[in-house]
Amino acid sequence: MDLNRLPNDKKLQLCKWYFKVGCMFLPFVWAVNAVWFFKEAFVKPPYEEQNQIKKYVIMSAGGAAVWVCVLAAWVTVFQTHRVSWAATGDSLSFIVPLGRA
Amino acid sequence: MAFLKDFLILVIVFAVIKPFDCERLHEQIYSSIEGGAACFKRLNGTHQAGCSSSDKGAVGVAQMIYDVTDAQWLVYNATVGPCIAVINTALFHDVIELLMAQPANVAGIIVYHNATTRPTTFSQESKCPNEYSSGPGSECLSSSTSSNAWNEGGTGLIRRDIPYPIFYIPQTRLEEIEKIENCYKRYNLDRFNLEGKPLCSVQLNSFMFAAVNSAVCLRRSATSALLTPTKVCDPLGDQNVHYSLFPLEKGEEVKKKPITLVTARIDTASLFDGMAPGAASSVVGMVSLIMSAVTLSKMIPVANASLYDNNVLWALFNGEAFDYIGSQRVAYDLSRGAWPPFSPLTPSDINLHVELGQIGGSLQIYKENASWPLYAYAASSFSQITEFLVVMSENSNAFNITLTPEFTTNLPPSSLHSFRRILKNETDSGDLPEVLLVDHQGKFTNTYYESVLDDDNNIGFIYHNISVGPEGKFTPTDELLANGIMQETDIQVKMSRLATALARTLYQRVTGKAYNGDITASAHLADEMLYCFIRSQACRLLMAADYATSSEETPSARASPLYVGVAAWPSPPAVFAGHLLALLAGQLLPLDRTACDAQTQVGFSYYWLRGWNRSGVCVQTTMNFTQAMSPAFIIPDYEMSSGMYSTWTESVWQAMSARVFVSASGAGARAAALCGAGATVLAAALTFWLRRHAAALFPHAPAPLHTDDARIMQTVNC
Repeated sequence: MDLNRLPNDKKLQLCKWYFKVGCMFLPFVWAVNAVWFFKEAFVKPPYEEQNQIKKYVIMSAGGAAVWVCVLAAWVTVFQTHRVSWAATGDSLSFIVPLGRA
Repeated sequence: MAFLKDFLILVIVFAVIKPFDCERLHEQIYSSIEGGAACFKRLNGTHQAGCSSSDKGAVGVAQMIYDVTDAQWLVYNATVGPCIAVINTALFHDVIELLMAQPANVAGIIVYHNATTRPTTFSQESKCPNEYSSGPGSECLSSSTSSNAWNEGGTGLIRRDIPYPIFYIPQTRLEEIEKIENCYKRYNLDRFNLEGKPLCSVQLNSFMFAAVNSAVCLRRSATSALLTPTKVCDPLGDQNVHYSLFPLEKGEEVKKKPITLVTARIDTASLFDGMAPGAASSVVGMVSLIMSAVTLSKMIPVANASLYDNNVLWALFNGEAFDYIGSQRVAYDLSRGAWPPFSPLTPSDINLHVELGQIGGSLQIYKENASWPLYAYAASSFSQITEFLVVMSENSNAFNITLTPEFTTNLPPSSLHSFRRILKNETDSGDLPEVLLVDHQGKFTNTYYESVLDDDNNIGFIYHNISVGPEGKFTPTDELLANGIMQETDIQVKMSRLATALARTLYQRVTGKAYNGDITASAHLADEMLYCFIRSQACRLLMAADYATSSEETPSARASPLYVGVAAWPSPPAVFAGHLLALLAGQLLPLDRTACDAQTQVGFSYYWLRGWNRSGVCVQTTMNFTQAMSPAFIIPDYEMSSGMYSTWTESVWQAMSARVFVSASGAGARAAALCGAGATVLAAALTFWLRRHAAALFPHAPAPLHTDDARIMQTVNC
C-alpha cells in the first residue's frame, strides 16, 4: 500500500489500527508501524493528523523497544541457565538438544 | 526441424554419458569401512560413559600407530589438526591412557584385531567390576593403586566418559585396515611435510542422543516436546531364567520345601556394539549350570517330587555386567515376596545359595593338564556352606577338580553382592548362606574380562561336531574318552565333570544319600552348547529348542552377543538358555499342539518346541522367565543418584558409520575463493565504467524516466 496515495485521516486510522493490533502481544507489528509511519510523523510537512500519528509511532517504537529488551534478557538468561535449571529448563525448551546437557 | 535435430543430439549425449555417471560423486570420494563396531554411550544415575562423535561425525587425519612413539608424536607434535589413531589391540593398552589424557589432538580411534599379535591383557572393564554395587566387606577400590584389584589389567573405559569415538574392526575385516594403511602410506607418511597437501583422512560417525545421566535422559525421553518427540535412552534389562527340579508349591498355607538356589550369569559386556562373546566370563559358567541342571533332572525324575523334602532352584541372571541388574531384581523381589511370581519365596526358604561364577579363565592355563583348580568363596563358614563344600570337594576331586575354600568378606564380583546388600540381615545371620565357585584366587585368571577378545580362543574351544542321536541322545563322556574323540584335557570334558560333580552334590542335598548311579553330564552336550553360545546360533541344539511356530529360516551363523541390551527389546541369549533348559531337562509329552496348549497342571509351563526331528514336541517344564529390569526403574520416584540399585541406560543412536577419504589440501578451495572475489571486483568495476560512459556507449538511449507513473512503478518495485 502506498501511503502517499492515502488521505491523511485514513493514514491516522491505519496507524492507530496497527498500534492496537500490536497491543495483542505482537511487538513486530509495532516495529512495522514505527518504521512505516516514521516519515509521515517526523519528515512530512505538518498536517492536522500528524501529531496523533506521531504519538502512535512513538508509542509503537517504545513498546517494540521494551519488547526487544525483555526478550533479549530472557534469551540470555535462558541460554546461560537452562542446564542448571534441570527439569524446568527441559520443560521450557521447545527443542531439546540431543547429545549434550 | 532445427528443434528435432537439437533433441536428437541431446538424446545421444545422455546415452553416452549415462554409463560413466552411474557411480555417484560421494562414492568416488569416500570409501566406507564395513564391519566395524562402534563404542556407544551408556549412562547411570550420576554419569555418562562411553563414546559419541559430533552429529556430523568426527573427521581426522589417519595416523597408523605402530608403537608408543607414534602415539606421542600424534599427541604432542602433530600439526595437521586432529588425527584418527589406528591401533592394534596388542598396543591399545599401552597408548590409551596417553590418548585419554591428551585428547585435544585426537579426533577418534580405530582399534583392530590381528590374531597374530594377541595382547596379553585386553579388558575395558574397570579394575573392580561393579565396585559401587559391592556388598559389605569388599576391599577392591579401582581408585587405589594397590594390587588387590580383581581385574588387574582393566582400563575401565566402559565406565569412563570418552571424548571421541572409538571403532573396533575384527580380525575378519582386516582388509578395511589394509585400505586405511595403504591410503596412509600413500599420502601421510612424510610427517614433516604434511601441511598444505592432500591427506588420507577418516570420518567416524557415532552420534549419541543421550547425555549427562540416566535421570536427565529418561526425563527427556518421557517429555513429549512438540517438535522432538525423540526417545534418547532406554533402561538396560532383559529376562532372568529360573527352573526348579520339582515344581514350586503355591499358596501361603503349603509348607515349602527348603530350596538350594544355584545361579550363574548369562550376560557379559564389551565396549563395542554387537560384540560381547563372554566365553570365559559367563558362557562356561552358564553352560556348566545348564548341564548340571539337566543331569540332576535325570538323576531325580520330577515324578519323584513327593519323595523328597528338598528342592533345587536354578537361576540364570541377566544384566550382571551393569551393577548386577538381574540379581538385584531377584533379591529385591525376594525381599518383597514377589519372586518367582507364581509361587513367591522368602529369603529363609533358601537354605543355600551357590553361584557358578567366572570359571572359564583358567581353562587355557590348564589346557595341557587334566586338573582344574577351583576356589569356593564364602563370607562366613556357616554349617550349610561347609557341609556343601565337603560333599562338593569329594565329588569334584574324583574328577581332578580341586576346590579350595576361601572364607573372606572380600568376594569376587558376582550376584552374591546383590544378596548381601539387599538381603543383608538374612545373609549376615546365616538364614541365606552363600558360596561362590570361581577359577581364580585373588585377581582374575581371565585377562580379557568382558571384552571383544573373550572369545572361543580365550578358553581354547575346539568344536568336535559330533552328530546328535535320535531324540536328542548325546554320547556319554566316558565313551568319547574311550574312543579317543576327546581327551581328559578338553574343556568340554572338564565342564561335564564339574556339572556331574555339582549334580551329585545336589542329589545328596535333596535325597540325603550319596549318588551311586551312572548318570553323568555329557561332554558332547557341552561341545554343542558351547558351539551355540560362542560360535554360531545356527546350531543343532538351538534349532531343536526353538518354538515350532518360528519361521524355518536358518539364524545367522555367528554367535549372539551376550550384552544385556535394552529392556524394551528382548535379546536372544536368555531365551536360548531358557529353551535349552526346557528341552533338555523338561518332560517330553506325547501330545499334539492343541492338547499341549490346553495343559494347565499347576507349577508347570508348556512349550511347543521344534524338537529333534523338527516335527514339534510338547515340553512340560518348570522353567520360566522373569523380568530382569533394575528395581530403580520400577520403584516410583526412585532417587537415581542414590546408588542403591543399578540405573544403567543406553543411549539411542541413529547411525554408526566409518569411511576413509582423501581430504583436499585446501589449495583448490582457496583458488576458487580467490577467483570468486576477483570476478566480483571485475564485475563491479565494469558496471561502474559502463555507467560512467553510458552516454558515449549508447548514444540513442531513451531519456531517464521522470514521470509520476515511473515513480509509482518504482514504489511498487520497492
